[in-house]
Amino acid sequence: MKFGYLIIVSVSEEFDYPKMAYALALSIKNTQKEGYDSVALVINDKSKLDKLKSLWVFDHIIETELPPHWDGRSFMDQLTPFEATVCLDADMLFFEDHSHWVEYFLENSDLYIANRAYTYRGEMITDDYYRRTFTANELPNLYSFYSFFKKDSKTVSEFFTLVRYITTYPTEFSNLFLSKFKPSVLGTDEVLALAAKILGIENDISYELDFPKIVHAKPMVQNWPWPADRLTDHAGFNFNKSGKLKLGNYQQNNIVHYVEKDKITDEVISILEDIAWKN
Amino acid sequence: MKKGVLLFAHNSREIDYARMSIISGSLAKHYLGLPVSLVTDASTISWMQTSDCYDKAIDVFDKIIEADTVEYSNYRRLHDGPMPSLVPFINFDRSMAYDYTPYEQTLLIDTDFLIFSNRLNEFWDSSDTVLISSAMQDICDKSRAGYQDRYVSDTGVHLYWATTVMFTKNEYSKIFFDLVKHIKENYNIYSDLYSFFNVTQYRNDIAFSIAKHILDGFSTDTSSTLPPIVTTIDKDILHEVKKDLLVFLITPKNDSSYVLASSKGVDIHVMNKQSIIRNYDKLMESL
Repeated sequence: MKFGYLIIVSVSEEFDYPKMAYALALSIKNTQKEGYDSVALVINDKSKLDKLKSLWVFDHIIETELPPHWDGRSFMDQLTPFEATVCLDADMLFFEDHSHWVEYFLENSDLYIANRAYTYRGEMITDDYYRRTFTANELPNLYSFYSFFKKDSKTVSEFFTLVRYITTYPTEFSNLFLSKFKPSVLGTDEVLALAAKILGIENDISYELDFPKIVHAKPMVQNWPWPADRLTDHAGFNFNKSGKLKLGNYQQNNIVHYVEKDKITDEVISILEDIAWKN
Repeated sequence: MKKGVLLFAHNSREIDYARMSIISGSLAKHYLGLPVSLVTDASTISWMQTSDCYDKAIDVFDKIIEADTVEYSNYRRLHDGPMPSLVPFINFDRSMAYDYTPYEQTLLIDTDFLIFSNRLNEFWDSSDTVLISSAMQDICDKSRAGYQDRYVSDTGVHLYWATTVMFTKNEYSKIFFDLVKHIKENYNIYSDLYSFFNVTQYRNDIAFSIAKHILDGFSTDTSSTLPPIVTTIDKDILHEVKKDLLVFLITPKNDSSYVLASSKGVDIHVMNKQSIIRNYDKLMESL
């Protein structure tokens, strides 16, 4: 079964998502074993990739009109060129080989959405500071940043059909199902969680596992005794020449969702490119 | 000799660590069924001789190892129940445990850690060669532990409790203790690197925690640790001892109100050192 990672980005004036997707693809190529390192990029304006030196890190580049913001990800099952896919957020980096996670999902799941995130210290995040809507409305605690699915699955098809329906009618679904702590904008996490809850499949598509392990660098859930605006105001972002990252005193071996978009500097890209070229 | 328990005791003007070591050592010997050795200094030995507890020390300890006298410059605020005082203490040579121990496998414990079970004997066969307690567990149902009891600093690494450390002599444990010594000798630099700012008081817990963090690949690994340490804080008072039943007056809100609590057959860290000493006779009679 042909497996690959899928990154869906919309060009934005605020953030350089193509550059982030490029860094993520480089880090995948640098760390994942053969057969588990394919990457497809879906983008609404291919010309924004012209400045990138090594477009070969994208095995597929698919240009398509996308709905604004993150709504494009509701089409992940239709956009992917792979038979089995992990759809990732663009602002993530890999540091070690996690192919064995994928092997497990290929064997055991049609659809699996991450339901845990970790602090930079490796503690499971339990603080619901950013997830009050989930708690108040008893949504399953899904994180769309790592979504595994197989293309030829009936469950996947039904699930994403509902996901698209909710994305098309966010106000109606929010009014009906998310009356407490109603979000101003319905994000992908909420949409996936709501679809899983409505279909009653949350335990089938997001049961308890020790992986995937993804460090979520949002500042207010790091178990600090005070509030913070940015994680890296307090814990240094130290990316070394070997492509390894330390956040504060902690070596990051799991996937890092770094959140702060300005962390992918030209220097970071250059290091990742050097490693990719030497491989 | 294969397995044994090691204690360090250096008397200060305020606290009779020698007497505490006799209590703690006797309990460890009785409940773990292992030999116990003491690392101390000439002045503490001299005090034991003048205060008539040296014979008991010779009886309890398998070996009394005389270390160089260490000058103390460490002070901390300790309570005896509600009464606070600033006391000097000597804790600099705990990093030398690897060098001093006469045992191939050593359980290193603080003198205020009172053993009333053989639970720690379960860890001798661990595949990990250095084990430290992962956390403190307050005797109060609702923990009085602060952030600094769980982390080295606000953004820093997990705090392990060097109150109990078990190690097997080998290359890895030598590196571990060498690293602890290095951290101790460069404590100011490590305070910058690990963002803790009280550098006037050297803490073994911090040095051991950083060493473990580094050797665990700059990560937290609480899977290879000794059990959390049941703890009464220094504002609590050890009130009564009946064999392995200890009755405490504890202050759940960390103020001046006290309630009764007890532990039975549980290894326990009694941070009110004076109240251990006051109960010397009862604790020794309990054996």
